[in-house]
Amino acid sequence: MKYDETELKVRFNEVDSWGMVWHGHYVSWFEVGRMTLMGKFHLLPNDFTQMGYFAPVVDLKCTFKEPARLQDEILIRTTVLKPTKAALTFRFEILRKSDGKLLASGEETQVLLTLDGRMLYIIPQDLRERLQPLFDYLEEPDSVA
Amino acid sequence: MFSAISVVKDFRKGFWMSEDLVLELKKLIIQTLKLEEITPEDIQDDGQLFGNGLGLDSIDALELVVALEKAYRVVIPDSEVGKRVFHSVKTLAQFVREESGKEWKP
Repeated sequence: MKYDETELKVRFNEVDSWGMVWHGHYVSWFEVGRMTLMGKFHLLPNDFTQMGYFAPVVDLKCTFKEPARLQDEILIRTTVLKPTKAALTFRFEILRKSDGKLLASGEETQVLLTLDGRMLYIIPQDLRERLQPLFDYLEEPDSVA
Repeated sequence: MFSAISVVKDFRKGFWMSEDLVLELKKLIIQTLKLEEITPEDIQDDGQLFGNGLGLDSIDALELVVALEKAYRVVIPDSEVGKRVFHSVKTLAQFVREESGKEWKP
């Protein structure tokens, strides 16, 4: 499974009084990764709304391995698991660019709701078709070892 | 006319009406959701599956929908139907009995 990649540099407002990135910011970096990947396929939140769906996050996990520090250049790697049920599960990895060290990894699951709040138990055909190019892209061989 | 198909059909009819289906659904719930510390006896026929009952959540519902479709070829499209069907094992069994009868073609 291929991971999509995007980069950013740790900002002053992201570090705590110990000079390390506060743990909550990793989740916002996951969001950067997700928006970058989904934006390539016109699957941003407003695209979902236009199709008549919300996709709220219902589960989130993050494991911290090493701290990121001020001005570190980090790599956010993002992928989506092929759905086995009516949910989208994203996987994330946060790496330090200078030595390729894995700093954190995480997973987030989104379910599908209609705009009037009905939760879908089956992915609708129109959304399946819109998601297909994303999964085709993610099935290509990963360029990073 | 007697045929192997009618025997199978009668057997299935009997199965759908029996308590075996309720037990089988309890086992399916435990197995699908990997509820290792729960036995079928712990799940009450009328007890709530979600919320304060067995404590299942929305992701559990999605897992169960897939397992039920595989096992019984029944489709639960959304939470509107799900609320009624997943109320308890009893309501789930009733739904499976009704919907499988419709879907099943020898």
